[in-house]
Order: sequence, then C-alpha cells, then structure tokens
Amino acid sequence: MNSALQFLIDALSVGSLYALAALGVGLVFGVLRLVNFAYGDFITVGSYALIVPSASITAIVFIGNWPWPLLVIASAAIVVIVALICEYLVFRPLRQAPPAVLMIASFGVGYIIQNAIITIYTARPKAIGIWPGLTEAVAIGDLRVPGLQLVTIVVALGLLALLILFLKKSPFGVQMRAAAEDFQMARMLGVRANTVIGTAFVISAFLAAIVSLLFLCQVGVVSFHMGTQLMLIAFIATVIGGMGSLVGAVVGGYTIGIVGTLLQVLLPENVRTFRDAFVFAAVIIILLARPQGLVVTRAARERV
Amino acid sequence: MIEPMLQVEDISVHYGRLAAVRGVSLTVGRGEIVCLVGPNGAGKSTTLLTIAGVLAPTQGTVTFDRSPTAGLSPEAVVRLGISMVPEGRRVFSSLTVEENLRLGTYGRSDRRAVERELARIYDEFPILAERCSMRAAKLSGGEQQQLAISRALLTGAKLLLVDEPSLGLAPIIVERVYDILRDLREKRGVTLLIVEESTERAVDVADRVYVLRRGLIELEGTSEDLADGERLHEAYFGFGAAGTSQETQQ
Repeated sequence: MNSALQFLIDALSVGSLYALAALGVGLVFGVLRLVNFAYGDFITVGSYALIVPSASITAIVFIGNWPWPLLVIASAAIVVIVALICEYLVFRPLRQAPPAVLMIASFGVGYIIQNAIITIYTARPKAIGIWPGLTEAVAIGDLRVPGLQLVTIVVALGLLALLILFLKKSPFGVQMRAAAEDFQMARMLGVRANTVIGTAFVISAFLAAIVSLLFLCQVGVVSFHMGTQLMLIAFIATVIGGMGSLVGAVVGGYTIGIVGTLLQVLLPENVRTFRDAFVFAAVIIILLARPQGLVVTRAARERV
Repeated sequence: MIEPMLQVEDISVHYGRLAAVRGVSLTVGRGEIVCLVGPNGAGKSTTLLTIAGVLAPTQGTVTFDRSPTAGLSPEAVVRLGISMVPEGRRVFSSLTVEENLRLGTYGRSDRRAVERELARIYDEFPILAERCSMRAAKLSGGEQQQLAISRALLTGAKLLLVDEPSLGLAPIIVERVYDILRDLREKRGVTLLIVEESTERAVDVADRVYVLRRGLIELEGTSEDLADGERLHEAYFGFGAAGTSQETQQ
C-alpha cells in the first residue's frame, strides 16, 4: 500500500513538471503553430537569472537569495523579457511563414541563447542550492515524502486551475481560444494578433520559469543545457497528447511521468540505465496506436 | 447618387504570381444592399477578404467613410466598422454561443451599448438566447449562420461583408437568412455587400449588382435594369443567351 502511494507521488510529481513544460510549448503552438524549441533555453534562463553574470567557477547567487515570492517574480520577469524579445525580433517577422520555418528559426534562437549563456557564464555547471528546506522529507502517516514532490504537484495543479480559469473566464482567454481555433476569423472580429501572441508568450515564459525553479531545486546545478532534455520531453508530451490541445499537453506530460516512473520500478536493475530508451519506445507505441494523439481537438477533427 | 460608404478603386490581388482580381472597382452607398455575383473562382471572396484587410491588394485602394484602409490589419479594419460574415460561417466550434457573440465586442469601449445590442440580438434570435451556453458546434447550419451574422453585428459594424450566406443550407433556411439580411437594413440601417453565386437571388435581394468573372467586373447595374436576366447571364457565363447556360452546367 505504502509503496503504491509512494509510486503515485513520484509519478505525479515528475508528470507535473512535464505537464507544466508541455503546457508552455502547447500554448504558443496553439496560437502561432510554432513548435518553440527555444523553450528549453527559456527554462535554462529561469535558473541563470538567479546568479550574477560572471565567468567565476562558483555561482555568485544574487536573486537566488531573495525571499521566495520575490525570487519567483524576478526569475519569471527575466524569462518573460527574453521571450518577448525573441517574439518581437524573430517570430513576429516570420509570422506568415510555414510552421517548419518557424520551428527551424526557434532552433536558431535556442542556439543563440545557449551560446550567450556560455559566453557570459562559461559552459561549466554551477551549483546553486535554492530552498533547501524543500528537499527534506515530510511525513504523511508512516510514509516519508520529499517536500519538493508535494510542492511540485500542488504548484502544477494550482497553475492548471488558474490557467483554466483564465482561458474560460477572462476576455483574453476567450480570445486566445478563438485564435487557436481560427486565427484569421478571430482577427476579422477585432482580436488583436499581437496581443494574443504576446499573451501566449508571457504565460509560456512564466511556466518556463516555474519549471526551471522546481527542476533546479531538485538537481541543485545550473548548466547551459539543463532545459534541453525537459524541452524534448515537453515536445513529446504535446505530440502524444495531440498537437494543439492543451488538455492533451497535460495528459501527455503526466503519461510520460507515469510511464517513466513505472519503468523505473519494473525494469530489472541492469537495464534501468536505459530507461529513457524504453520510455521513448512506449511513446512510439502510443503514436502507432493513436497517430493523432491521445486528445483530438475539435479543430483538427473538422479539418479531416 | 447616395453617399458612397465604401469605395474600391482599381484593386488587383495576387496569390503568388496568379492574379485573382484584376483591376476591380466598385462602390457601396450608405444603406445600400449590393450583390457581387459570379461563377466559382471569379475572385468574389478575394475581393471581400481584401476589403476586410486580410489580403493586401498589389494595386488600387479601398476607402471606407473617406479614410483609406491601406496597410490596416483585419483587426484595425473591424474598428472602422466593417465586419465579415464569412463563407462557411466559421463559428468557433469550441466556444459557447455567447463567447462567439462577445468575441467581437472586446475591442469596443462602449460597454453599455454592447450589453444593449446583445440583449436585442437575443430578443430577435431567441434560438441563440436559448443555446447561449452551448458550444457553437452543436448548432445547425441555419443557426450557425444566425450566429455568424449576429457576431459580426456586435463588432459595431456599419457595413457587413456577407460571403455566400446560402452555401450548404436548405432552401427554406436560405429564405430565412435573406429575410434576416433584409431586416438588418430596414431595422438597423446596416449596409450590406453580399457575395452570391445565384444571379436570380442577387437581383431579388440587391439594389445593385456587380458581375465578376475571372477577376474582372463584367457588368454592373441596378436590379431593375438587370431584372430580365439576359445581360446578366451573358456577363456571368461569358457568352450570350440564358438557353446555353445548361451546357455550362453539364
């Protein structure tokens, strides 16, 4: 019983992180048809924001020492600014371009961000411990769970609820949903393209910062490629969830979290190192069975 | 001459190197109903989309209420008072009926007028009021057309661009849709530019008719002048006599 509960908490916390990252990718894809591979680097920026730009070997923590609400706001603000600059300089001029062009441009943007980080901070990983209290175990009955896992789950569910509320109830949210379904028609009704796309980038960047901080808290080290792996998983989550569906992105994120954790438990010890290969094999099987993704959007269904 | 509200002067529109519209000029007077008829691929929808700011003309100008719309985005054109009821209706199927209706109102600052107009829409189209919290996908074709028209009105439009309102609807529903469109002018003073494939219906509903074929205006005239149909058919098909039109249809 306890091990089942432990498994559930493990799977949910890993899945929560993936789901948040996948949502960030899915939101921008929804309105712009852009698979933003620079998103992984937005995540990286969220952690580098905590330290003073320098080539020193040890991290000189600045924002990282602030009280947590200020820390979160400052990190998110920096990622948002970077994202909006990318939108303005690169993705806005390419707005009419085919999705493949947009995607390749995003690789370019990511490459530039990574190299900027290497130039400023060096390629050496740096240790940063934020919120050490969270790594301590919390007792639930006779089960001991790392506090970080619970925080990750609660934060993810909280943000999901806020996002749903925003999309359903606020005028901005309604306009974003309309734009995701038929951007041209939405514009003909007065929905401003710049506002909708800008809002999508802001929310997406905010989620990147949250993912970054939760991930950093878990691993304790910043490196210029820390977001790359997360982006890959987030992208796969949006694909198996069904491109263009936000519900699908969340479902996909949790699916990968659960499958990965399950394999960690079930695989024999000597093949456990190759767990990710098995995860991706599972992804291929899911896609073979449901090439359109787990959740099919209305818009996609009607186009067929 | 009625005061011209919309003036389209010598516009050409290209898709890549292909010219869809070649030097089209037309005017719509305040309070008029004007029909643009023509066969498939004549450039009717292209003309409407250009007026709406979705497509940029490679040549020529569009002027609305004396101000040129060149370089304006679709969202800016709406704010001038031009709104589109598009081909195929294009209601947002994942949004509720009310969300569809309110979508066009977010750019407006006169919130009180918006609420008043929304109440009037619900009053005149009770089916929309009844289904206001339902997803638009659940509406029938005729109901979706009512929604598309109402949604366009709520942007505060003075001129509606209506693209093939009869497409995919049963004949009895088409009658109802045209009754609604006529009512818009009678009761609200809305001006209409309607794209239609059928010459008979165009002559029936419009004050004036333009025939567009292969990107060119072939004929224009008042509905009375064109009522006998012969010149209309000639312009529409590119050769004389209504009798030969059957050959074309085969």
